Amino acid sequence: MIDQRIFENLQTKIDEETTVRDELHEIVQKLARRGRSTQAILSRAHSTPADQLKPVLDDVTKEILAQKEEVTRLKAVADQHPFYKYNGLWSRELQNLVASIELCAWLGGLQEHKGPSSTSFMTIEDVGKFLDIPVNLKEQDAFHLTIEEYLLALIAMVEELARLAVNSVTLGDYTRPMQIGNFVKELFAGFQLLNLKNDILRKRSDGIKYSVKKVEDVVYDLSLRNLVPKGSSSA
Amino acid sequence: MGTKRDWEGQPLDLNPKDTIMAEAEIEPARPILSIFENFRDELDEHHDRRERIIKKSRDITALSKKIIFALQRVRATNQPLPPKIAQENQTRFDQIHALFEEVVPEQLGINGWRYQRQISGGIQEFIEALSFDHYLRTQTLITHAECSARVPPQILVSEEDYLMGLYDLTGEMMRFAVLSLSSGNASATQLTENSASEREKSTVASSQGGIVGDLRAIRAGFEALSVPQRHYMFRDMAKKLDVMQNSVEKVERAAYGIVVRGSERPSGWTPDLSAAVEVGSY
Repeated sequence: MIDQRIFENLQTKIDEETTVRDELHEIVQKLARRGRSTQAILSRAHSTPADQLKPVLDDVTKEILAQKEEVTRLKAVADQHPFYKYNGLWSRELQNLVASIELCAWLGGLQEHKGPSSTSFMTIEDVGKFLDIPVNLKEQDAFHLTIEEYLLALIAMVEELARLAVNSVTLGDYTRPMQIGNFVKELFAGFQLLNLKNDILRKRSDGIKYSVKKVEDVVYDLSLRNLVPKGSSSA
Repeated sequence: MGTKRDWEGQPLDLNPKDTIMAEAEIEPARPILSIFENFRDELDEHHDRRERIIKKSRDITALSKKIIFALQRVRATNQPLPPKIAQENQTRFDQIHALFEEVVPEQLGINGWRYQRQISGGIQEFIEALSFDHYLRTQTLITHAECSARVPPQILVSEEDYLMGLYDLTGEMMRFAVLSLSSGNASATQLTENSASEREKSTVASSQGGIVGDLRAIRAGFEALSVPQRHYMFRDMAKKLDVMQNSVEKVERAAYGIVVRGSERPSGWTPDLSAAVEVGSY
């Protein structure tokens, strides 16, 4: 004899979980929508000379702060549930946000949120402090930014910078490709320290070398034609 | 440090980027490397733990499969298992329990759900074995709570694992029913017993209580579950549902064969199951 209550109980559990997922999904959707507008504004950097970037960065900062509010909402709900059970729902959008933050900071925005460390980018701790969320929690089961998410965001930023190197030249800025070249190579050296397994991080970080190459090609073209500005030659 | 100049030789005004670059030049690459060394250690710890859990999960899967094979040698439901098989399986259940105990420290707190996917395969196979054992002894379905009680409390038995384990159970029930029929032991399926005694009626209505009836009830239960598509919950479910429906149909067809052709059945006859016998095991 099969007890049909077993299936009724399962249905109850499925319904409960659906409610949780719906609630989280709704917040993540908002985060995603705002994320797209952040990225749209940020992409204006590709067609804006460095000295006129300020208004663009101000607009981006506004959007990022709006996204930060969504993250706060997300955190409040997600903290009531096991973190890794639902992490997949928002991981992608959080990565996109962190990538935007990093790019904005690299371009000169969000400077007051950069930590005292001498890195040229925001560390995972800086990002956590800015978004007001913990990072890399290993014991406590609560909402946080994971190392993998942070690293994936850095990779996305590197890809965007490779594109920016090309577009800077088009805008007549020959200094920025050098800076990008140095920075991207530094990060690439960092990523080479990691022992990556066959996972998403491995797949994505394999792409960094193509970004590095793209930037190096630009640097090469510039130096071949003696277009490299003095004082900013690539290391 | 001299004055930064742009490519035309004009001094650059204080652009924040240049300050960043200047800092990076003073302390070349050091901080980045130490930050990434830290990341490397964290990721190594994560990968090592992940692999340890996967190994345990595989061991649990292998032992569970052995339990299921042993149970397929049983020929009767709703009574105590033959002592030899019961004893063999008890040893395996004990081994599985020890393996679960070893996984406990890896799955504490936040890590329970973090590595859920890694241990999940073992848990599903274990539930398949456990529920099959339970079904053969009592002819009822084991509940989720009963499954959870069989593993250390720190080990998560998700509803998904439970459900997937039950799906696989239908495959085992199918195999069991078909094997019972083919070995001529009709008593394992109430249906064939009924139809053998009431052959003139040639009806399948009186099948409740038998494996066929149970399989139908399980199938109905599964089919009644509504899982929203939008959240990708229970990813394997569509495939499992298909395999389960096939299993039920195979048993139904076998039962039909007994009813229709039972009287002509020569000794040693086996039901026609021309389609390959599929048993869901992922």
